[in-house]
Amino acid sequence: MSSRASILKAVKTNKPALIPLPEINLGFFDEDIDLVETFIKNVQFVGGRAFVLQSVSDIDTQIKSLYPHAKQIISTATASQLGTVSISEATNPHILESIDLAIIHGALAVAENGAVWIAENDIVLRVLPFITNDLVLLVSKETIHLHLHSAYEAIAKRDRTFGVFLSGPSKTADIEQCLVIGAQGAVSLTVLIL
Amino acid sequence: MAHADEAAIFNKDEAKVNWHDKALWFVRNKRDNAAHTVKGWEELRNLASGIKANVMSNLDNYLIQFEENAQKNGVTMHWAANAEEHNQIVHAILLKHKVEKVVKSKSMLTEECHLNPYLEAHGIEVVDTDLGERIVQFAQEPPSHIVLPAIHKTKEEVDTLFQKHLGTKPSNGDPQYLTNEARKHLRDKFLKADAAITGVNFAIAETGGVVVCTNEGNADMGTHLANVHIACMGMEKIIPQEKHLGVFLRLLARSATGQPITTYSSHFNKPAPGTEMHIVIVDNGRTEQLSRDDFRASLHCIRCGACMNTCPIYRRSGGHSYNATIPGPIGSILSPGMDLKKHSSLPFASTLCGSCSDVCPVKINIHEQLYKWRQIITKEVPQPVVKKSVLKMAGSVLSSPKLYGIAGKSARFMLKYAPRFIVYSKLNAWGKARELPEVKNGNFDEWYKKRQKNEQ
Ligand code: SF4
Repeated sequence: MSSRASILKAVKTNKPALIPLPEINLGFFDEDIDLVETFIKNVQFVGGRAFVLQSVSDIDTQIKSLYPHAKQIISTATASQLGTVSISEATNPHILESIDLAIIHGALAVAENGAVWIAENDIVLRVLPFITNDLVLLVSKETIHLHLHSAYEAIAKRDRTFGVFLSGPSKTADIEQCLVIGAQGAVSLTVLIL
Repeated sequence: MAHADEAAIFNKDEAKVNWHDKALWFVRNKRDNAAHTVKGWEELRNLASGIKANVMSNLDNYLIQFEENAQKNGVTMHWAANAEEHNQIVHAILLKHKVEKVVKSKSMLTEECHLNPYLEAHGIEVVDTDLGERIVQFAQEPPSHIVLPAIHKTKEEVDTLFQKHLGTKPSNGDPQYLTNEARKHLRDKFLKADAAITGVNFAIAETGGVVVCTNEGNADMGTHLANVHIACMGMEKIIPQEKHLGVFLRLLARSATGQPITTYSSHFNKPAPGTEMHIVIVDNGRTEQLSRDDFRASLHCIRCGACMNTCPIYRRSGGHSYNATIPGPIGSILSPGMDLKKHSSLPFASTLCGSCSDVCPVKINIHEQLYKWRQIITKEVPQPVVKKSVLKMAGSVLSSPKLYGIAGKSARFMLKYAPRFIVYSKLNAWGKARELPEVKNGNFDEWYKKRQKNEQ
């Protein structure tokens, strides 16, 4: 018998009688809070920063003042014109190693944990939000959800390839529990809210 | 060696033990703060526990559904009955692609299967890319904690290891400098790797996708740069539907480190164009644990580490003293199921205070299972005489549900009512070298008085 067959057979024999799957009652998690404010607070808590911008035309000015030395820039967001390097699906991801800054549109955000959902079609190459030295995410106010339950409802109909909830810059506390920002992924995260 | 003897070795360096104890308690406090800010936290725990119970009762069907959906997404599926088969499968995939260098992100399963030495013996370079895991890999040690692999190492020890393996300058253990150097070193490894191996935090039956959580971004740096991704999972990682991630991801990082969510929660469904993705489903003793009514719930574990951080024994004995892949309270109920004789001392490495069960995000009754293992072990494995008599007393307490409820919250009962020579005898390692706290008259006396009245 193959391992697959023997494992499934053993599971069938050893499992207990069927226990029903509980329903998630969202009423338990309802809260009347300011979503933008909570989101900003949580982005800061996880080591990032977030600002509300008045208009789309402020985006590039803001990014330039925050990252004045960035030269190799990839922008996959249509709202920013700062990109200096263009990529396509055919680009070898290894060349992104020298990228200083990536500017990416985030499909939605989550107030309770400061996370932004990044879908594959917003990044062109999967490695982009991780390999870039610094990261800017653009998020629209209307897409900030209270909690993850609501966020999962919103992305339920997507075409599933790859996606990531990203909350804050890369970090580690593996040396004596001292928090160090900038482990293997992006060393800083800025979320611009419009 | 029994757990208490191993712990005695760790306890030789008192300053380090004190630091270890405090550091983990600090993490436990962060967990509390995070949990308290979530509306409906207890409801989340109830849901998580209920979902996992449903998973165990329907696991074969969920596994089949998961496989079907993953295959539709273009993922190649493999099944391994044990550690050896798992290692052979992974090796065969690497051979097929002529892989010489592999980067690996954190996976307790590959630790359990001893994948690294297996691949290294076949001439493949394996680099653990989580910083803590890289540190213990340099030290040629196993992780001592499932979330904080190098928590037993001082920064000076890390400094020395990095000088030796990475040629860094002496820095007195400057965490910023050392992390930076590791970043440069690991970037190079990511760019040169031919394949990436990851663990799996959650596997979703409904979609065939897997979710991998990290704070460093190392799983993503590995998988998105290499042409082959191998995700290794214990069969208990299944959850029924994607919306259940809402429940588990809200619990996981808060319970682990007090973060509201890990920095990266990556959802892998389809391999990127031109690349391959493989998933290896591993049994290795899990179906057997599934058959045990009393211990089945240990398979609900989502590996957050909270039970370790809160455990007074773990904090003062260190992860290595358990001599098992998964240390701490949860390890002490999983390991006897794998090898009862080898791990027979582990269920005794507990005060049965119940703090582990209190913090567990999926509500595993850890301390009750520890007690149940004790009963089995005292019957089946020869015990030293004194331990037996202590156990008898514990047994009489624990067999009375009411008294157990009171005593169970702390070690108060044993401290107060066990004769001093037992608490402080050489054979009770936990009374050694320190005066245990004085027990104030409290609940127990009240209860005892009431009980006497009722009996009259
Ligand atoms: S047993 Fe519970 S507390 Fe311990 S690691 Fe597993 S999920 Fe976390």
